[in-house]
Amino acid sequence: MIFIAIILGCVIGLVLGNFAPIISYTYSSYLAIAIVAALDSVFGGVASSLNKKFDMGIFISGFFGNAILAILLAYLGQRLNVDIYLVAIFVFVSRMFNNLAIIRRYYLDKFRKRKIKEAEMAENNTK
Amino acid sequence: MKNWKIALTFGCVCCILTLAICIQFKTIDDTNSTVSQTLIGNELRDQVLKWKEKYDKATKELETSEQKLESIRLESTQNDENSIHKEEEIKLDNILLGLTDVTGDGIVITLKDNNNVKRSNIGPLDNIELYLVHAGDLVEVVNALRNAGAEAISINGQRITNYTAIYCAGNVVVINGEKISSPIEIKAIGSPELLYGSIMIPGGYLELLEETGVIVNVKKQENIKINKYDGIINTQYITSEE
Repeated sequence: MIFIAIILGCVIGLVLGNFAPIISYTYSSYLAIAIVAALDSVFGGVASSLNKKFDMGIFISGFFGNAILAILLAYLGQRLNVDIYLVAIFVFVSRMFNNLAIIRRYYLDKFRKRKIKEAEMAENNTK
Repeated sequence: MKNWKIALTFGCVCCILTLAICIQFKTIDDTNSTVSQTLIGNELRDQVLKWKEKYDKATKELETSEQKLESIRLESTQNDENSIHKEEEIKLDNILLGLTDVTGDGIVITLKDNNNVKRSNIGPLDNIELYLVHAGDLVEVVNALRNAGAEAISINGQRITNYTAIYCAGNVVVINGEKISSPIEIKAIGSPELLYGSIMIPGGYLELLEETGVIVNVKKQENIKINKYDGIINTQYITSEE
């Protein structure tokens, strides 16, 4: 159900995005880092929902809060002449890999269990 | 937490996310470059600003060291007849080269594009080019002034030196590498009567300019101040033959 919703959301987003206006090039770097932060939140949300630990408040606040925080950090970095946004990207992407690993393991486990079950069933049938 | 609520949240969030990604893709495609290139652009801009700062600092240093040189030269030539003569020669040379600010009587010519003329109110056989001040006009005026014995000339603050070129660069005129445009103020130091008389001669170039539609204003003036040439004259090929 969740995955259907995700795909549906993506399709609607794509359609809307086709009619969306372009933004100034100066702000595109901020939008880019916001996208990375949001992507991290989505993967985190999927991983936690698979583990049955999903919390709506944490997810929504994380989605918007992380994006805004990342933009603010990137802006601060530009003013201070330090590339803080690199660190933000590093953290978000490494967390994304972690969450992907959790999702991967969950489905791998599920797949293996099903195979064992099928094997058992086959064994039972032959008896 | 109900399952459909979670799904709805995910749907909304993904919608926002893909929308943002779409906008980003379009923006980047539009500027025909990647995000990481802004970093390079910023670095280049930084470097340009830094070099400009360095350049300004160097010009200031040059100015102060020139003053120092002047004072040292003055000090060392105070008691020597021969070197006093040399010092005066150097000063005169600098004036002739246009490397010192000078004052004197002369005339001020103002040339202005005629802004009343437009494509709509001009006659079919008239040429709008004739109502504008061109680089060639400035060359003619400078030649006329030189011929009448002008000792120092500047156009919009740009000193006319031995090494000055006046040329057209589209909608501006470039003198000493600096862009200038209408209204153009030409200052010349020399005998005011002689300069005025020769430049306002009937059938002269200024009369022609005025006739074709350029706004011309000439006046005699006392104590005109003409700034020095603020660039650096570098010679590479000439040596004196002795």
